[in-house]
Amino acid sequence: MARPKSCLGIGGEPNEFDVDQVKKVIETTNRSDMHKKRANKAFLCSFEPWCYGGRYFLLNCFLAMTFLATPVRSQELRNAQTLVVAEQDSADFFEQHIRPALIEHCYACHAIDTEANGGLVLDSPGGWQAGGESGPVIEAGKPEGSRLLLAMTYQDPDLQMPPDGKLPQEIITAFRDWIAAGAVDPRPEMEPSIAISGLPVDEAEKHWAYRPLLRPRTPAGETASTSLIDKFIDIELAAKGLQGAPPADSGVLIRRLYFDLLGLPPPPEVAALHQLDTETEYLHLVDSLLSSPHFGEHFARKWMDVVRYAESITLRGFVLPEAWRYRDYLVQAYAEDRPFDQMIREQIAGDLLEHSDLRERQMQLVATSFLAMGNNNLEQQDKLQLEMDYLDEQLETIGRAFLGQTLGCARCHDHKFDPIPMRDYYALAGTLRSAVALEHANLSMWIEQPLPLPALQEERFEALNVELQQISVRIDTLNKNQPNLDSKRNKQKYVAIDDLAGTVVDDSQAKLVGHWKDSSSVGPIVGTGYRHDEDSGKGAATATFEPLELAPGWYDVRLSYSAASNRASNVRVVVFSADGQNEVEVNQQQPPDIDGLWKSLGKYRFEDNSQAFVLVSNADSNGHVIVDAVQFLPLNGPSELQFVDTDNNADSEAVDVRAALADELKQLEKRKQQLEAQLEARPRFLTVVEKLPPVDVPIHIRGDVHNLGSPVPRGFLTALRMPEATTKISESSSGRRELAEWLSSEHNPLTARVYANRVWSWLMGQGLVSTPNNLGTTGASPSHPELLDWLAAELIDSGWSTKHLVRLIVCSEAYRRRLLNNSAAEQIDPGNQLYWKGQSRRLSPEAMRDAMLQISGELDMTFGGSLIRAGTKADYDYQHATTRRSIYHPVFRNSLPELFEAFDFADPSVSIGSRSRSTVATQPLSLLNHPWVAARAKSMVGRIRSGDHDPTSQELINSIFEACYARLPSDDELLNCLEFLNASQTDEEVERLELLIHSLFAALDFRYLE
Amino acid sequence: MFGTPLNRRKWLQQSACGFGSLAASAMLNDQAVFASNQVLHHRAHAKRIIFLFMQGGVSQVDSFDYKPILAKRHGDKLPFDDARQLAKTGKRTEHHLMQSPWQFRQYGSCGQWVSDLFPETAQHVDDLCMIHGMHTEGVAHGPATLFLHCGATNFIRPSMGSWVYYGLGAENENLPGFVSIAPSIGNGGPRNYGSAFLPPQFQGTRVGSLTAPQLSIDNLGRSDLPRQTQMQQVDFVNRLNRQQLDRRAISDEELEATIASHELAWRMQQFAPEVLDLERESAHTLQAYGIDDPKTRAYGQRCLLARRLCEAGVRFIQVTHGDNSANPAWDQHSNIPKHADHAAAVDKPIAALLSDLKQRGLLDETIVWWGSEFGRTPYSQENGTGRDHNPRGFTVWLAGGGFKSGFRHGETDEFGFQSINGRVHMHDLHATLLHQLGLDHKRLVFEHAGRQFRLTDIHGQVIHDVVS
Repeated sequence: MARPKSCLGIGGEPNEFDVDQVKKVIETTNRSDMHKKRANKAFLCSFEPWCYGGRYFLLNCFLAMTFLATPVRSQELRNAQTLVVAEQDSADFFEQHIRPALIEHCYACHAIDTEANGGLVLDSPGGWQAGGESGPVIEAGKPEGSRLLLAMTYQDPDLQMPPDGKLPQEIITAFRDWIAAGAVDPRPEMEPSIAISGLPVDEAEKHWAYRPLLRPRTPAGETASTSLIDKFIDIELAAKGLQGAPPADSGVLIRRLYFDLLGLPPPPEVAALHQLDTETEYLHLVDSLLSSPHFGEHFARKWMDVVRYAESITLRGFVLPEAWRYRDYLVQAYAEDRPFDQMIREQIAGDLLEHSDLRERQMQLVATSFLAMGNNNLEQQDKLQLEMDYLDEQLETIGRAFLGQTLGCARCHDHKFDPIPMRDYYALAGTLRSAVALEHANLSMWIEQPLPLPALQEERFEALNVELQQISVRIDTLNKNQPNLDSKRNKQKYVAIDDLAGTVVDDSQAKLVGHWKDSSSVGPIVGTGYRHDEDSGKGAATATFEPLELAPGWYDVRLSYSAASNRASNVRVVVFSADGQNEVEVNQQQPPDIDGLWKSLGKYRFEDNSQAFVLVSNADSNGHVIVDAVQFLPLNGPSELQFVDTDNNADSEAVDVRAALADELKQLEKRKQQLEAQLEARPRFLTVVEKLPPVDVPIHIRGDVHNLGSPVPRGFLTALRMPEATTKISESSSGRRELAEWLSSEHNPLTARVYANRVWSWLMGQGLVSTPNNLGTTGASPSHPELLDWLAAELIDSGWSTKHLVRLIVCSEAYRRRLLNNSAAEQIDPGNQLYWKGQSRRLSPEAMRDAMLQISGELDMTFGGSLIRAGTKADYDYQHATTRRSIYHPVFRNSLPELFEAFDFADPSVSIGSRSRSTVATQPLSLLNHPWVAARAKSMVGRIRSGDHDPTSQELINSIFEACYARLPSDDELLNCLEFLNASQTDEEVERLELLIHSLFAALDFRYLE
Repeated sequence: MFGTPLNRRKWLQQSACGFGSLAASAMLNDQAVFASNQVLHHRAHAKRIIFLFMQGGVSQVDSFDYKPILAKRHGDKLPFDDARQLAKTGKRTEHHLMQSPWQFRQYGSCGQWVSDLFPETAQHVDDLCMIHGMHTEGVAHGPATLFLHCGATNFIRPSMGSWVYYGLGAENENLPGFVSIAPSIGNGGPRNYGSAFLPPQFQGTRVGSLTAPQLSIDNLGRSDLPRQTQMQQVDFVNRLNRQQLDRRAISDEELEATIASHELAWRMQQFAPEVLDLERESAHTLQAYGIDDPKTRAYGQRCLLARRLCEAGVRFIQVTHGDNSANPAWDQHSNIPKHADHAAAVDKPIAALLSDLKQRGLLDETIVWWGSEFGRTPYSQENGTGRDHNPRGFTVWLAGGGFKSGFRHGETDEFGFQSINGRVHMHDLHATLLHQLGLDHKRLVFEHAGRQFRLTDIHGQVIHDVVS
């Protein structure tokens, strides 16, 4: 195992930290080498301060994030008279006299920004404290021993600074006084020293999260609550002399529970009637919400943030048509309280697990879509690089989601903070290396597989498949026989373009570059004659066939040429389509196989504005190159035989035979299309494919895919102390199954802690560790470490039941507290880290949207399925329009619904542990002005007005408040509303009541729960 | 700060750090709302950037990087390290040199060569700083476009405009500090003006699109409501907000911030439409930008709006000439003569923008940056009449903002293929642009996921030679 680097990264590895060598690299004017490294590296993690620290640190300096104060003008400085440095204002002295001089006279060569000549940096205290290559430059308290002063005073002819002239005496005096007074430098350092001290593997347990998980003893002491959680909370409160706030009112709690457990507002009848006067009533409500299938939807969405769930890819906006199955898996899994350890195993290695029945098998397979959900650069031309990037994305997500670790940091070097050596990274990478996720082409493609189905359906699809294969064989045979007929066809030679299907571009319409000779010697010929290159000027002639117009869609693209033995057998033909360019080599000695006229170049997709042309080149060809015509045959339309016989001299018998064959072909093609369409309808799922034998991945030196070290045996994080049985990988196994077991093991100290913390954060607004995706040394410390461990133990002991944890948490007093003003308590715990009061809860955009739809009576509660409109190939500018719950909105990386964008929806490209909480003007703008919101208010007016009863204004306002806020208006609010309604102007088109409801959607109480 | 009810004036003062943003407090969670960096690292030479993005890749050897040898050796077959072939096969391949269809002429007292594609921009060469030795990452549009905007070829980095906005804060709190005019939805789309892990208030605000002529901001008002009624509604909501906060009987910074965001929204709703209204310009100005001519209208409007936003104090304004396809506007793989259409659409508006900024004294404090995600090859692609992508050598130019004028920096080889002297990597250009704004690219950092990130990753050097 690689030895972790020493704290300062100096002295441990002489090669890597050779100052001169590093300087040489930096000073190299020709940066091409660096550029090459950069090209490989740019795709990598993009790192961390100490990564650049790596470069500058070596020059004995610290990174400084010194925000400079406004420089004092040097004139003022020169005017300074006697300079007396007093203890208390030594910092002021520095700011007034030293820093301005440093900025004006020294930084140009001695700052991090300016490459630090002589290894000396003067723009941070750490810089001069570390000194330059020739040693320390300032000895605090001893001006005469300080090299800095020696240089400034120009006493040594070899050491004179600044080089362009000695500074005025008063500045030198100021420096002398400053050094004599102790060289106080108030500028902040860039990073505390923690940033550079990596935790060694064998000392991993110095950090709490890597210690084995033990169930802590419940604190003793009396609490009113029956919940053990409160014992942990109360003991901390008591220690600070704090007391928990009383529970919120029943109406507030009902609303809180509905949104927290279902993501929906309580129906008005529940809000109005339900009272939570007794504990039994409270528990009853909790249980009924937990058993609602909508609980599954709400919690699935929370997990989807963590697993960067999306239904498209950023580049080119490709739609992932089968991703939704994974979402539905999560909805089901959470609704049925599937054990979370099992969910882990299914997401990592569902395809490799044993199964007893079909439904289980389907669930397992679909769960593994998790691995294929990343937002990768499928256009990357260096496929080795792409594969490692893909792996890295998977590891990074697994690390954050399950382990709360930043594994990606160890791709290019040992993790600088956490006990994760680079070897561990490549050991883990090995366990995923056999899971093939892409089929490579110019644009690599993700993998979809047929979903196993009930036996009857399987048989039906199998039968269709067999028939398709038989038909394909027959079609091939018929097509191969065509050339025999063609010998006759050749006689008639010309085929009119108008007789051909699709879009045909004749050579007469092609853009010709270089020398092409007209000819019509050999038929059949499309249109009027063809051209050839006279087998000369190789590489100088091209012909570009570009249709004037082409409707978007898929096409069979075909080339026509007249075959003969003097033709080139290696003609290069390139098809430019929406998906890039594809080169096909055509042998023009062989007669075209379709109708004796056409040679298919393959199937291609064209879009509006996309390139759509075929380029024939004579480069490197070994005979005559022929260009006659190109056909773009739409694939969706009816497939017809294009050849129309116009030859009156043809042998009639042959014509009959040909007609019969043509007819058969026509029928077969038709049937083939039907079969393909039926097979297309078969359910498929997004996945990876296990490809054995297993491989060990070598260390990639500095993360470079083209610079490999020795292979690392497949394995796991060595810092975690776990039973040997959980860390073994057999010779014949890829290790992915074992990875799943290792991650979901109760002995893994991270997994249960990470998940218990997540569930807490989902309900309490912040985690016990406030960085849910990072429990490493750079993450936050737990506010209640014992409570966290206790919850993790509860999770494991309950059989990894999410609902068990949820029930525990929402039944605690800590969860039920009311919002409270208590200035004494605020002083002690301003951030409410100890949970002494309730906190305003911000609704997610999904909940806001669902609530508006529910209130307006439009919410469609149907479960599951894909909502992507048929025919959507790219996600650009997708028009979202559905009244289903928000979770079913397609999550498109290039076009999220506006409301989602405005209200901090999770970035679907990376694992998100906690969403941003922004407060920006675009939020009220979209709430007040987006037509969608206005339309919901309008629908609600329609709903209210539809009843027989003609309510008074006050009755209306009451019922609207109950629907929107699950409460009645206060007197002030009622008055305000009545005033607003009455201020109506008669000529207004938009109803006043509509605006009132709309305004309630936009106001505080809609977005912030009590 | 906690526990004391904050008055809203204080919030509004703080809000100057971001468009309508109100720093709630760090208590919220680890991704809480942050104020902008707000402090300059050194003296700034410019206050803002206008980026004229030529999407798809302008050919340097047909525009500003004159290589007479291409005409002399037209058709010669020579080996090149073609970036695409190299990535695919690792091999050097042979290609035919192709001359430029356009004449080059010398302009200005600096004598800069410019092709007949850009006769109007050419009149301004004495104000331009040509960087001929550019090179970058990414052979395909998607990655290279992301690299240009975000300094990384993958998808999760903040865009340059959001870094600038974060670094400088807003000059005008009633407007966003970062605006992307008519951005493309392709090749990374919103990522190219997104804020990624920077706080959301620093993301770019989209004005208009490449397909619609209207240059407007989404949700800036309701056309179906009389202004009077909208005002009444806003007043009503503001009163409700107050009543609801009072009803809770607690002090809550986040709720105070939300109330203030409503007030900001309303001010913006009143202020922004004026800035966006090009009708306020004189007929002479509209004509100068080519808005009277269908050929130049679209880009002329965008450039004129850029000037107005610049006056209004927006920090980063991107003006895209492109389209929404995977092979965007300037991407002439098979037909380089088509460059003429694109040049005709942008040349006059760009020249007008430069004149206008100069005349108004804005050019000194504004950097105008013209460029593409990469250049094109000096040889023909597949022996056709087009040129393939070329990230290994291309030209961008800069004007104003302390960049040397009438100046050339760096060069490509004799064919214009690869930058050889005075090489400037895209990271270096980013670093230099930030430098001119008073920001140190190594210190403009943001903590995310346990580490600190910056626009230039771990690379980039300020090119001091190009600034005065």
